[in-house]
Amino acid sequence: MEEYHSGDEVSFSPDDASNVVKECIEGIIGGVDYSQNKVNQWTASIVEHTLTQLVKQGKPFKYIVNCAVMQKSGAGLHTANSCYWDTTTDGSCTVRWENRTMYCVVSVFAVAIAL
Amino acid sequence: MDDDQSAEETAFVVEEVSSIVKESLEAVIGRNPYEHKRVNQWMSSVVEQCLGQLSKLGKPFKYIVTCIIMQKNGAGLQSASSCFWDNTTDGSCTVRWENKHLYCIVSVFGLAI
Repeated sequence: MEEYHSGDEVSFSPDDASNVVKECIEGIIGGVDYSQNKVNQWTASIVEHTLTQLVKQGKPFKYIVNCAVMQKSGAGLHTANSCYWDTTTDGSCTVRWENRTMYCVVSVFAVAIAL
Repeated sequence: MDDDQSAEETAFVVEEVSSIVKESLEAVIGRNPYEHKRVNQWMSSVVEQCLGQLSKLGKPFKYIVTCIIMQKNGAGLQSASSCFWDNTTDGSCTVRWENKHLYCIVSVFGLAI
């Protein structure tokens, strides 16, 4: 009979993920103004960089990282998420960031892998 | 042996999910103009309706549905997603919808259990 026991209870930590996301955003669009030419590159870099950092933590999770960047021009923007999963093991975290010329909303979803 | 049929039943089918999302959007928002007070309600209805229909499909998946609604005001909006999962079993589908007054982007991610 084989049993797998891991010493630590592995669960998603929204605070850790939130810090990872904030560092990534600051690193990529920290002091810059909205630029239509570059925004494509920025969103791609933010999601890839965040994903890489999360995977490095080595936890048994599948991840989805979503990033939206919007120019500040008075328009209204709303976002919502709904998840059908195992509430004891899975989790998410959303970070809202802004500077003078744009808003950035990044969501991380972590779904536990059954070992 | 019904291998092919059972593979269909447990795969993430993009067209099926896409039509579920479009029906939800048409039913909930339709031709309405952007109204700050109602948007919250619309978003909840859209994601709940989508999730309800998806779970009715009875497939062995966990689902994540995200929805973005933006007023048409000339602003630029860029959205990107990156996923770390099992390419053979998991999938996603993004529907970009609009009417005269607003844009709506709904993404559905399906992760196999």
